[in-house]
Formats: sequence, C-alpha cells, structure tokens
Amino acid sequence: MKILLFRYIPLLLVFSATLLGMNFLPSGDKIVHDFSLINTNGKLVSLGDYPDAKGFIIVFTCNHCPFAKLYPPRLNALNAKYSKLGLPLIAISSTDTIIYEEDTYPEMVLKSKREQFNFPYLFDGDQAVAKDFFAQKTPHAFVIWKEHGKWVVKYDGAIDDNGAEPEKVNNQYVAKAADALLAGKTVEIQETKSIGCQIIFRKK
Amino acid sequence: MKKSHFLLGLLFFSIGAIQAQSYNNLWIPDTLSGTNFNLTIKDTFAQLTPGNQTITAGINGKFWGPTLFFNKGDTVHMNVLNKLNESTTLHWHGFHLPAVMDGGPHQLIPPGTIWKPYWKVTNNAATYWYHPHLHEMTEEQITKGIGGLIIVRDEVESALALPRTYGIDDIPLVLTDRDFNTQKQFVTVPYGDSMVVNGTLRAQYSVPGQVVRLRILNAAIERSYNIGFSDNRNFSIICSDGGLLNAPVSVNRYLLHAGERVEILVDFTGQTGQSFDLKAYNASLGNFVAGGENFPNGPFANYLGKKDFTMLHLNVTAQTAAPITAIPATLTSNVLLNAAEANITRILTLSDSTGVTNPPILGPNAFIINHKLFDIDHNEYQVPLGNTEIWEIRSTSGFGHPFHIHDVEFNILSINGAPPPAAQAGWKDVVFIPRQQTVRFIAKFDDYADIEHPFMYHCHISLHEDEGMMGQFVVTQPASSSLEAIKAENDIILFPNPASDRLFVSFSDPNMQAYYVRVTNTLGKTLYMLPEPQLSDGIDISLFPAGIYVLSITDQKSKKTFTRTFTKVRHNP
Repeated sequence: MKILLFRYIPLLLVFSATLLGMNFLPSGDKIVHDFSLINTNGKLVSLGDYPDAKGFIIVFTCNHCPFAKLYPPRLNALNAKYSKLGLPLIAISSTDTIIYEEDTYPEMVLKSKREQFNFPYLFDGDQAVAKDFFAQKTPHAFVIWKEHGKWVVKYDGAIDDNGAEPEKVNNQYVAKAADALLAGKTVEIQETKSIGCQIIFRKK
Repeated sequence: MKKSHFLLGLLFFSIGAIQAQSYNNLWIPDTLSGTNFNLTIKDTFAQLTPGNQTITAGINGKFWGPTLFFNKGDTVHMNVLNKLNESTTLHWHGFHLPAVMDGGPHQLIPPGTIWKPYWKVTNNAATYWYHPHLHEMTEEQITKGIGGLIIVRDEVESALALPRTYGIDDIPLVLTDRDFNTQKQFVTVPYGDSMVVNGTLRAQYSVPGQVVRLRILNAAIERSYNIGFSDNRNFSIICSDGGLLNAPVSVNRYLLHAGERVEILVDFTGQTGQSFDLKAYNASLGNFVAGGENFPNGPFANYLGKKDFTMLHLNVTAQTAAPITAIPATLTSNVLLNAAEANITRILTLSDSTGVTNPPILGPNAFIINHKLFDIDHNEYQVPLGNTEIWEIRSTSGFGHPFHIHDVEFNILSINGAPPPAAQAGWKDVVFIPRQQTVRFIAKFDDYADIEHPFMYHCHISLHEDEGMMGQFVVTQPASSSLEAIKAENDIILFPNPASDRLFVSFSDPNMQAYYVRVTNTLGKTLYMLPEPQLSDGIDISLFPAGIYVLSITDQKSKKTFTRTFTKVRHNP
C-alpha cells in the first residue's frame, strides 16, 4: 500500500497545484528532441527525415481512448493542410500496451488503415518520447518549431475545444498556433490543458 | 369555455417551452438484471454542460453505471474488468457478504484485471449501491463517476402495492455535485458548485399523477441534502438504507447524508399539469453539517453552501394504466436486534487530529477514529463470528460525520441518548454522528469469518475517509477451527496442461479448498482474481491468448499459496 501511495504522489501534487491555483510552467522555451520510432508501415521515422520541415504538429494519441477516437478525421485534415506548408503532423502512441491490448503495434497498423491516416502513426513502446515531451493525455498536441537547429515547443495542449461536436468548435488551438508560426507571429494561446485519457508511465 | 381552455393550454405550452430551454431531461441509469453481471470500469466522457465534453470514468461506458437488480436468495456473480490505467476497487455498499468479496481497499483490482466476486444475496429489498474504495483515491475515483445503484427485491416488498416500474413511477435519483474548470473538466473538490442528479445538471422529469416512489442516494463527496418539496408537502419515507420500515413515516424534510439511501413515496394524484421542485433546504442546516457551512474562500467555498436550491424539477403528467394511488398503512414487521443480547459494547471515538500527541499527527487537521489515522495493516477489532455487538460512537469532533460500517446492517439504539427518529428506526448501514454527540447501534456479525481480509468502518465523506478517517476489523472463527498446519506432502495438480478452454485443479488432500486464485501472464499482468472460486467446473481460459501463465492458489484453511505454471494452447492437444 505504501508503494501505491508513492505512485499517486504525482497525482496528489497536481491536485494540490490545482487547489492552490498554480498554473503550469509556460512552454516558451521548452526544447524537445528528435526520435526514431517505427511507423505502421514498418519504417522508422524521425524528425530529421523531413529536411524541409519548419516545424511539426505532434499529437500523442492512442487506439483505445474514447476521447482520442473522436479526432482522426481532424488529424487528417490538419495534416492535409499544414504538411504542404512545411508543418507536417505526426501521431505517436505511448500508452501502456500491457494494460491496453488495443494499443499494441499490430492494432495500430489496423487502425491507421481503417481510418486512412494520411500521417505517420508511430509506436513509442518504451514511452521515452512521451516523457521527453511530457505528454499527459490522449490526445495531447504539440506544435514545435525549428529555431537554431533545435525543436522548440510553441504550443502545448488540446487540439481544439470540443471533442464530440466538431461543428461546435470555437477555438482551433493547434491550427491557430500553426497559422501564427507560419505568418511569423507569436502564438497567442501557447498552452491549454490537454483533455483525454491519462498516459501513465510504466515503472521500469 | 373552449377558447379559454385553448388559451390556458397555450399558456402551459409556452411555459413548457421556456422550461425545456432551462432544464435538461433527467437521465435514468441503464439496468442489468439476472445473476451474472459484467461490469467494465473504464475512461469515458460525457456531455454534462454545453461546449466541450467532460472526461469521466464509469461503468460500461457511462458517467454513472447501470442499476443492478438482484433478487434476495439468488447467488450473484460479478465479472468486474478494470480497464483504467490505475488500480481501483469496487465495493458493494450495504451488502452482507464475505470480506474477500467486499471490494474494500484490500480487494485491489490492478489495471487490466478481471475480478470475479460472488455471493448469496441475503439483504432485504432496498436500494444499495456500488462504488470504488481504493484508499486515498476514493474521492477522485467517485468524482470521475464510477458507481451505480443496486435494487434488491424480495417477497415481502413484492407483495406490497408499491410503485415499481423503473423510470416511470419508481425513479432512481443519485444526488451529487461537481465543479467544472474553464475547460469543462471535473475538479476534485469536496463541494461542487453545480447540483448533479443522475449525471444531469438542472434536471427535470415527468412523473405521473399518482403515488410515485423516489429511490434517493446521496452519492456526494461531502454534502448532505435536506430533502423537501417546493410546495412544502409531506412525503412518506418507506425504506431506510437496508430495508423497509414497519410503516411509512410522513415528513416534509429529510436530511440525507453521504452514502445514505432513502425511498420515499410522493402522492401526485390530482396534480396532473402542475410542476414542483425537489429541493435541498440546506440554508437551515447547522454550520457543522456538510453543506451547512458557508466558507467565502478556500477549498471548501462553494456556490451551494448554506443555500436552498433546486435539485430536480418535476412536471406531473397523466396517470399510468394501473396507478398506485394510496400509500400503504403498514409495510413489514422488522425484528430488530435486542440490546440485552449484545456480547460486547465497543466504544469508538471520532475526533480531530489537532492536538494528538502520541504519536503526533502532523499537517493540517484530519478527522480520525480512535485517535489514529487509518493503517491498512492494522486490525482494530477481532469480532467473533456470531457476535451481536453494540458500537458506541463518541464524537468529540468539531464536525458531523456519516459513519458507515461494512458487512452488516444495524439498528440505531440511540442518538445522544434519545431513540432514533421513526425514519431511522429500521435497518441502516450509515448513521450520522452529529458533532460532539454519541450514537449507539447494534449489529450481528453472522456467516462470514476471514482472518485475512478485514471489513472497514469509516466516515462516508470520501475526503475524510481518504485522509484516514477509517478503521478495519476482522470477523474470526471460534478457536477450534483456526489455522491448521498443512501436511508437507500436500500438493495441487493442474490439468489438462496444456489446456485450451478449461483448466481444472486437483488437490491431493480433499480437505483443501481454494481461498483465492490468481492468474498472471509472463509479463506479470494479473488477468484473473478469483476469490473463493468454485473450481468443480474448472477455470475458463478460453479467451486467453496462447502462451504460458502462472496460477497461484491459496488454500482456505492453511492460507498456504501454491504456484504452478500452465500452457494455454488454441486447441486441445
């Protein structure tokens, strides 16, 4: 039971932080690192494979989460629009496949075919990339931008502000961030709270 | 005449249209009945407010789980699958059952595991519920929406002329409140700003113009609800937590605390076309009753504190085909426990942790039982099987606490020296202990002894419970049948091995009996947790992927655990 308590300390801290009205740290100069993960077509993908990319839309998602299931058409639309402008979308699944058999690599392959993903869907089996980004939920989006050879997080949070009713979305957070960056402007809303299923990191 | 009726109709229609805008139709939880119940605990989301959805958890994909219908005397089998990415438990609140099936903090279900408790329903017809009970996580997991109602039927209740058409004249009402952040997500706080009935905010419902039964559960984290109607009418209480009262008790207010249930009959005969509000008259509550405080700031500040507010708007419609129009004069003849027959009186204290010195309890004030915080490794009491006991709960706490005990339904003997009010003079499993008062109740600890798995007693305000206002007891067998040494040559054999559909267990000693079976895969993930399994039909492994598995069996008497591996193959070799 002590182990259990220890496990929930991060949750308790988040809870206390919420109570105290503390905000999360601004993402202004958060740097993330390149990775090499297997795509559903069997090939490895890394950011370095896209020499012309100015930045990326990175979305941590998964197969099983009911909230993540609402977004594939919107992910396809984002990639269709922004990959041409030098800001391609990459989806990454980092959930615990010991718990969720639906999230294993073979199931990801089936999902990307079924949903006709027009973007890479990468398997982060050891959760290292999710840890580097500090991804918390599925879906959890990041817009990253290349500055002086480094990948800087410019937006961190939800894709938009309505999961189940796309027609009622008021704020397309990711699209707005992408538009601002491509126009050379500062991103207005740089951080929101991502909403969805918690990515829980396995203890090694 | 005709014209005025038309105008009147038009008027009602326009009022109706306005109401349709300002209220949401009450959601009635789904139902499951029979003797086998599949309950999957998982993440989901719900449209509780306009705009983005709220991430919740729940049973079988809903914010609040299905209502389970049990018949007294049936043996019910639960298949509980935890699809959360964290451990949880599922407690069958109010049920008399073996401790190993109880779903308290000791019957932890790891992620991805199926837990299969079962028991014979011996409880009386009444409204019960199920909810998570993972220590230090109860508030958070209940906030997410994990839980459901259980309705027990029996011959006594079925013989009465009572409303029992679910959702029509027999309406479940799960009262709670929630806070939403700017992104429409739940905040885990003791008091929410928004009243929520059956997962519905600003709820309205249509009731027929006849006698209607409301089964009300207080599923709040902390708040008590002082129930009444906007026209100040009287209503009849027919059932407390664990069974029918001897006769209906007519009141115009009833204060329901966290964890408690009450069934009421409300007579809407002749009121078709009218509307009434079911309200919480909390402005009149004392400052030391949950919901009666009025904190302007801090974590306990909330919009509903010390206010009267509407919980449910009721529109009375036409009568149903065979309406109940009268409230029965009598209901049952409860044989209550006799204080003279008690084997022991145990004295428990409720207090505040401030000032406790041996050992000191540091940090902010917590509420405690017997001057200490909960310790999951410590059994406070050993209750001999068959004992009838008086529990005297003496509070020096500055706040009132709803006290809940597992395993038993009890009879209240006295509240601060006075006999309980008529509406609480039947079977209870939660009793409110007003600040600095003493409550005595009596219970009989029958049927189930288990030295390994304790039962809990605690404050049902889940914040207080998580902070340590909980204790535990074991029910023990008489000395003659205590632990026996197991013979060294005793063994178990699994067959066939490899197996495809069913795996059988053979004990070398016929006196051996399975107390617990656990099946894990080679990655260490627990697949099955089977308390006291009936192994004569084997263990169903047909859905397991092919591979090697580890099965551990704990023997009932010796509590010795045997571990064996077996191979699952697709077809019998």
